[in-house]
Amino acid sequence: MNAIMNNLADLPEQLGVDDPWVEKGGVHWLASDALNVRTLANMMNAWHARFVTITASELPDDEGVRLEYHWDIGGQLLGFPFFVSGTSIDSIYDLCEAADWIEREIHEYFAVDFQGRDYEPLFLSAGDKLGVNLREEDE
Amino acid sequence: MSYKIPIGPYHPALEEPYTLDLICEDEIILDAKLHIGFNFRGIEHLAETRNYVQVVALMERVCGICSNTHTLTICQAMESLLEVTPPPRALYIRVIMAELERLHSHVLWAGVAGKLMGFKTMFMTCFALREKVMEILQAISGNRVNYAMNRIGGVNRDIADPAAILTMLDNLEREIVRKVIPVFTTSSTAQSRCAGVGVLTQEKAISCGTVGPTARASGLPQDLRRAAPYAAYAELDFSVPVETGGDVRARLLVRALEILESCKILRQALSKLPPGELFTEIEEIIFPTGTATSRVEAPRGEVIYSVSWEEDSDNPSRVHVRTPTYANMPSVRWMVLGARLSDAPLIQASIDPCYSCTDR
Repeated sequence: MNAIMNNLADLPEQLGVDDPWVEKGGVHWLASDALNVRTLANMMNAWHARFVTITASELPDDEGVRLEYHWDIGGQLLGFPFFVSGTSIDSIYDLCEAADWIEREIHEYFAVDFQGRDYEPLFLSAGDKLGVNLREEDE
Repeated sequence: MSYKIPIGPYHPALEEPYTLDLICEDEIILDAKLHIGFNFRGIEHLAETRNYVQVVALMERVCGICSNTHTLTICQAMESLLEVTPPPRALYIRVIMAELERLHSHVLWAGVAGKLMGFKTMFMTCFALREKVMEILQAISGNRVNYAMNRIGGVNRDIADPAAILTMLDNLEREIVRKVIPVFTTSSTAQSRCAGVGVLTQEKAISCGTVGPTARASGLPQDLRRAAPYAAYAELDFSVPVETGGDVRARLLVRALEILESCKILRQALSKLPPGELFTEIEEIIFPTGTATSRVEAPRGEVIYSVSWEEDSDNPSRVHVRTPTYANMPSVRWMVLGARLSDAPLIQASIDPCYSCTDR
């Protein structure tokens, strides 16, 4: 484990998570049902981590959407997956300005509602139907 | 009294289509709103309908300037999924292509900046310089935009004439040192249009999550080639130019200095180019179920790809691309606050925006 990850060894405990870091493809993942996205964003701010992006993927059989949050600390990419079984998850925009556009994009393309924020249209025009571009075609 | 000036989506001040709504009082900008999406091509969705060969060709078309960056990043992601390592020669050729791309991108941008500040001679000088880089890229790949160099496990073509690249580098470096840097740093035209204009503070650069030269011009020394080396960058010696001014001049200067660093990297890569194969032979490509993430320092900053695959599927189940302009564009709002209306075109151009990349 590199020096950055040594420093981050206690982060799961600070986040109230029992699960360990798992390294896969150069990314250190922390996956746990106990993770709270706003607590995580606050912790990343405390670590001066750079927000990178959120990757949204539609799960099969209407199981919802998987959101992978990525932050960078000193070149080390961290990944935190969240499962949105309904249609909403807390927004981190007020804690992390850099998440603004990607939250708006996922809202428009996957119809996920990031609670606690207002939206202005990003790619779509006002009034356009949400969730049509990257949802499966048969929906 | 304040009023709104909508610029775009199609406007002479913009190189690509997007809308910039400027709220002004007299000639001073009080606020700005950005609207994108005019180049949306649904490429991420299309990627889910392409196999591992086709998806490389598709992603090359995300951008006409950093096309090689996109194929490099997605190939690295797929190699990570397959646990394939390209041979050393391929890693060096990837560096050479990436730096040639950075050279032509930065020189192009310097020309565009020259044009926007009313310095047409510099525009023509830079485009003449860029043409030399384009000729090298065409000689290597047979193409001027989509080079088709990267493949899973390595590269498709060798560097047939390294000496030609060295000659071009000597000329380019001389012209950059002799003409471009002095003009951009000392001429009264450049000074009056760039110094103290469009300032992005370090604090705001951090909170906006800016990347690449835009971040480095605001004092953030982040560069994936150094922080998270890929290809053969770990074996090469280079500096990461950082300026603290945060203005258009600092962004100009960072890119000009990066041109010199790219020349330095290219000389090393060409002299160290190891012998051997161009790609790793893979008997049968079968993707396991999983997600791989890859990042590359493109000319405009960090590009990240997240590629997911289901076992036994011909096509990826998800390809997500986050390009540098996507990360940098929101910061333009803060750069133009308090600026003169006439400086807005140059300020928005100073992040070297690419809406083709951003919209996908």
